[in-house]
Amino acid sequence: MHGWCGKILRVDLSSGRITGEALDPQVARDYIGGRGLGIYYLRREVDPACDAFGPRNKLIMAAGPLTGTAAPTGARYVVTTKSPLTGAITCSNSGGHFPAELKKSGHDAIIIEGVSARPVYLWIDGGRAELRPAEHLWGRTTHETDDALRSETHAKARTAVIGPAGEHRVLFAAIMNDRDRAAGRAGVGAVMGAKNLKAVAVRGQGEVPLADPAAFKAVNLKYREAFKAKTQDAPPALRTHGTAITVVGTQSHGVFPTRNFQQGTFEGWESIFGETLTRKYLVRAKPCFSCPIACGRVTRIPDGPYQGEGEGPEYETVYALGSDCGVDDLAALTKANYECNELGLDTISMGSTIACAMELYERGFLKESETGMPLRWGDGDALVRLTRMTARREGFGNLLAEGSLRLATRCGHPELAMVAKGLDFAGYDPRGEQGMGLAYATSPIGGSHMRGDPAYFELLGVPVAADPHTWEDKPPLVAKWQDLFCVIDAAGLCVFFSVRYLVEQDLMVKPVGITELLNAATGAGYTPEEVEQIGERIFNAERLYLLAAGFTRKDDRLPPRITRDPMPVGPARGMVCRLEEMLAPYYALRGWTAEGRPSEVKLKQLGLR
Amino acid sequence: MKVTVRTFAHLRDYAPAGQGAAEVILADGATVADLLAALRIPKTVEAVMLVNGRRADAATRLNSGDEATLFPPMEGG
Repeated sequence: MHGWCGKILRVDLSSGRITGEALDPQVARDYIGGRGLGIYYLRREVDPACDAFGPRNKLIMAAGPLTGTAAPTGARYVVTTKSPLTGAITCSNSGGHFPAELKKSGHDAIIIEGVSARPVYLWIDGGRAELRPAEHLWGRTTHETDDALRSETHAKARTAVIGPAGEHRVLFAAIMNDRDRAAGRAGVGAVMGAKNLKAVAVRGQGEVPLADPAAFKAVNLKYREAFKAKTQDAPPALRTHGTAITVVGTQSHGVFPTRNFQQGTFEGWESIFGETLTRKYLVRAKPCFSCPIACGRVTRIPDGPYQGEGEGPEYETVYALGSDCGVDDLAALTKANYECNELGLDTISMGSTIACAMELYERGFLKESETGMPLRWGDGDALVRLTRMTARREGFGNLLAEGSLRLATRCGHPELAMVAKGLDFAGYDPRGEQGMGLAYATSPIGGSHMRGDPAYFELLGVPVAADPHTWEDKPPLVAKWQDLFCVIDAAGLCVFFSVRYLVEQDLMVKPVGITELLNAATGAGYTPEEVEQIGERIFNAERLYLLAAGFTRKDDRLPPRITRDPMPVGPARGMVCRLEEMLAPYYALRGWTAEGRPSEVKLKQLGLR
Repeated sequence: MKVTVRTFAHLRDYAPAGQGAAEVILADGATVADLLAALRIPKTVEAVMLVNGRRADAATRLNSGDEATLFPPMEGG
C-alpha cells in the first residue's frame, strides 16, 4: 500500500502480547484513516455499554495517509476511545511530531486493549515493539517522562505520555505528545491511566511510501505556493500572534465567553489576547511537523510569582482559564496552562470546570467548607492552585477532577455546567453564533468546536463570511462542515491549513485539494464527492456509536442559559441560540429520523448496514 | 463625522498613530470603503469588517459615533 503503511499494531496489555496485523485495503479506502479508522475499530470492537476504565475499552491511536508525508500540516493523529467523562465516543486530535514518527515506524494505528497489572510503556523502534516496566515513571510529569523515555530508548524518540492527571483518572486528562501538544478532550488520558500505560515512545525508520511521488510533489508545491502568495505581504496572524489572536474575533462579535458564559464580552480582553502575549511573553513560534503556519507558542514568564517557561496559551486556553474565570492576568493563566501541560490536563475542561465552581461558589451553592478556599471571579492564584490539586485529586481537586457537570449536579444545579453531552464548550457563546450552537449540540463527542467549526465562517471570515446571527441558513452549512472535518481528521491534516487552501473557497467547501493530495499519496483515485461521502460515513458511524451508548434526541441540547436567557450585553445582546428551530431541518437534511437516528436508507447509502 | 476604528494583527500597520483604537473623520454618508481608503488599506488586503459588532462589508454605510473593527481572516482558534 501507499500513503497507508498497511499495518496495525495491536497491544494487549492484559497478556503483554503484541501483534502486527494487516490493514484491510477496503477499510482504508472507505474510512481513509485517523478518525475514520478510530470509529471503524471502536464500533467493531468496543461495546458502547462497557466501563470506560475497564479492560474491555480500547484506546485507538490512528494516523492518516497524509500523516508523516510532506503534505502541508501532515502532522496529525486521532485518539479514539469510549470517554469516561461523557460515556460516549471521544476522538481527540493532536499534531506535533509523534504522529509522523508513528507513521515512519511503519504503522497506521495502534490498538491498545486490556489492562496491564503494572505500569508499563510501549516502545516502538521501527518494526520492533515491546512493553517495558514504567514503575519508575509513575507519578512523574509529562516533561520528566519525555526526558526519561528519550534517555532510555533513543534520543530522537517521540513520545505520547500521561501525567499525574491521567494516572489519577481525572475525567478530562489529556495524552500529551512531544511534551506540549495535547490530545486533550473528554478523558483519553484517563483511559490510558486506567490501563496502566504511562507512555508510548516511537522511533521511525524510512519514509511514508507514496503512490506517485512526482505527482505528490507537484500537488504539494501548488498548495504551498498558494499559501506563500497569500502571505507574502504579511505573515499569517496565527504565526505572528498564535491562536490567541482569535480573541479579536470573539470579543468583537460579543461571543467571548465570560464568567461561565454569563456574558459574551470581557472587560479584560486586551490584557490576555494574542498581541499582548506576543509583546510580553513570546519566545518564538513553533510549527508542528511539515507545517508552514507555525501557530505554536514557546513562551516565558521572566519573573514574578508565575515565573516559568513552556508552550501556550492557545485561544481556547485564554478563554477557559481566562475570561471564563474572569481572569485578566495573562501570567497567571499562562502558568496554569504550563501546569496543565506538565500534569496532563485538558485546558478547556479544566478552565470550564473552575469557572463552573466559581459561579457555584459566588451564588452560594458551594461552600468554603467544601472548597477549602474562596473561589472568586478573577482569582489567578486560585487557578494555579486548583489546577495542581485537580491533577492529583487533592482536597477539593477531587471534585473538580470529575468535571463541571458532575460538580454542578452534586451542588443541585446541573444547568450551570456549560456542556453538551457532558463535554465543556469551547470558547464561543452560541447565543451570538447560531451555527456553533447547532455544532455543539450535534457533535458526536459533545461540546467541541473541532467537529465542524462554524467560527470560521461566522466570525473569522474563512473561507467567506456568513452572518453569525441567522439560524435558518445554518443546518446545511453545519452538516457540510462536520463532514469536512471528518475528512481532515481522517487524512491526517490540520484544519487550520485545510479550510483556507485545500477546499474550494466558498461555504460548501468541496475538498478538492485534500482529494488531490490523498490520490497522489495513496493512488486510491478518489473523487471529491467520494471523499465528501466518506466524511458523511464517519460522522454517521460516530452517531450510531453515540446512540448505541444510550444517547437520544434529548441529548442534542444546550444549557438553558444558552437557549433561554438572552445575552445581557454586547453586540449579541438580547439573543438566544435557536437550537430547536435548527434541529429538525438538520435531522431531515442528514437523512435522520425526527428522533435523530440515521434512516435505513441513509445507512444503506453509506454502507453502514 | 467621526468614527472609531480598531485594527488588529498586521492591519494595525494602517492604523493612525499605530494605535489600536483611533478616531477618523469622514464625510457624512461615508461607507466602510471610504474608511478603508482613509486608512490607506489597499484593496488587495483581506479584512474582516465589523461595525458596532455586526458583520459589515465595503458598502456598509457609517454613522457618526460608529465603532468599526478590522482584522485579517484567521485560520483558526
